[in-house]
Amino acid sequence: MKHAFNAVLVLAVAVAVTFLMLPIVAIFWQVGLDRLVDGLRSDIARDAFRVTLKTNAIAMALILGVGTPAAYFLATRRFPGRALVVTILELPLVLPPAVAGIGLIFAFGRLGLLGEELNALGITIGFTQVAVVFAVTFVASPFYVRQAIASFESIDQTMLEASRTLGASPAKTFWRVALPLAGGGLGAGAAVALARGLGEFGATIMFAGSLQGVTQTVSTAIYQEFDVSLDAALAISAALVLVSGAILLAVKTLPLWTGSRSTSRSLFARSAST
Amino acid sequence: MRKTAAVLGVALIAALPQLAQAETASAPRLTIYAAASLTEVFPRIDRRPAYNFAGSNQLALQIRQGAPADIFASAAPSFAQDLYRERRVEKPRTFASNKLVLAIPRSNPAGLTSVFDLRRKSVKLVIGTARVPIGAYTRQVLRNLGMTSVLSKVVSEEPDVKSIVGKIALGEADAGFVYRTDVQPVKDRVRAVPIPAWAQPKVRYEIAVVGSSRNKAAARAWVRMVLMNPRARRLLKQAGFGLR
Repeated sequence: MKHAFNAVLVLAVAVAVTFLMLPIVAIFWQVGLDRLVDGLRSDIARDAFRVTLKTNAIAMALILGVGTPAAYFLATRRFPGRALVVTILELPLVLPPAVAGIGLIFAFGRLGLLGEELNALGITIGFTQVAVVFAVTFVASPFYVRQAIASFESIDQTMLEASRTLGASPAKTFWRVALPLAGGGLGAGAAVALARGLGEFGATIMFAGSLQGVTQTVSTAIYQEFDVSLDAALAISAALVLVSGAILLAVKTLPLWTGSRSTSRSLFARSAST
Repeated sequence: MRKTAAVLGVALIAALPQLAQAETASAPRLTIYAAASLTEVFPRIDRRPAYNFAGSNQLALQIRQGAPADIFASAAPSFAQDLYRERRVEKPRTFASNKLVLAIPRSNPAGLTSVFDLRRKSVKLVIGTARVPIGAYTRQVLRNLGMTSVLSKVVSEEPDVKSIVGKIALGEADAGFVYRTDVQPVKDRVRAVPIPAWAQPKVRYEIAVVGSSRNKAAARAWVRMVLMNPRARRLLKQAGFGLR
């Protein structure tokens, strides 16, 4: 009886691993190392990676810069409507990216809510790299903010109180105590957000379109090159697998680098599952 | 409890093949892969089939990969002919033609009155990728007009014609090359600027029965219907297609 149960569990793991690994193995099976390198040397691949890295770097700066203090506030304060605010921040997690794309167009597009104001200022966002940054930020930020709130919440409150009673200002407490203590969790959240941002497709192609060297990211390039030059599409896919795999590995090993701080527990308990 | 779970599991596994081929069992329901520009007219001709509308190049690729299509309707002869040479479809027949227009938003933010204005004004132009028929035809038109320099004003290359129409209808782009028939369904938001007849490419739609179809008889009958049936021909004409 016990054996049978164990066999079922092992079988389930085997099925899951096979199903999830097969498509990834297939990509590398198809490409081969020489074609991978050739494909990555193509203009399309190079431009796509350049655009993706640039837009994602900016998006990550925005997400960390705004998301960290916002998360700290939400983690350390209790006020009416807090749950609503958190829910709003998490909403893009459950929105299909195509819906995000439509929303961005109707908010920041030329005929959108802010269209007239932006027009008057001579700003157009659609079809520019700003649009790509917007799309990535919108879709990826909840992954960071959510994790950041959890990380700040899991800090031992007595540490923050000790810092305050020893005379540190709230700002100094945030910089010198809260941030380092939550560091592992914040890093993990940032990595997941980055991985999500690198792969962003739906909102980007709707709001920013796709033009090689300008707004064509790795994901849109894969989609558009699929039937033109399968090699390039496969090569970009394979490279993306490697990059994303590296990010995931970094997330998993992050607690090892940052030592056995109290925050490391929250990493596996709360994040990764989304 | 465990029994329930086991039953559920077995039921789930038993249901998987059903999911994969839900349609083939009873009265055969045709699956038709058709160019995006046929999105409005085909369901009007016949509501019953399951349609997959996309860029003809993507559909050809899917059929090559073994997609379960019964009929392929392409916006450019080359994709149907390539599949025919590879013996993946039966002999393609031409069933309609089309013309290109320059689509602009009703608000006309770039102030365009003719296709030649594209040269002078600063315009956000949206076209199809070089591979999708509408994108190939667009490049041909620009060559015919001696206006290939206009390609530098392209802000986005879209995977199919309906994505171009969408960007125009939302007012995000100033202009885009589409088929004449694509403007009709969104005419409250989009206006068509004509392109001179001498610069028009030959846009021919070809239709063919897919070789691996399990409903060949029904599929052939459907193709005949699109080619001959007076009502089908009338609906194509009403939608703005040429009959030839």
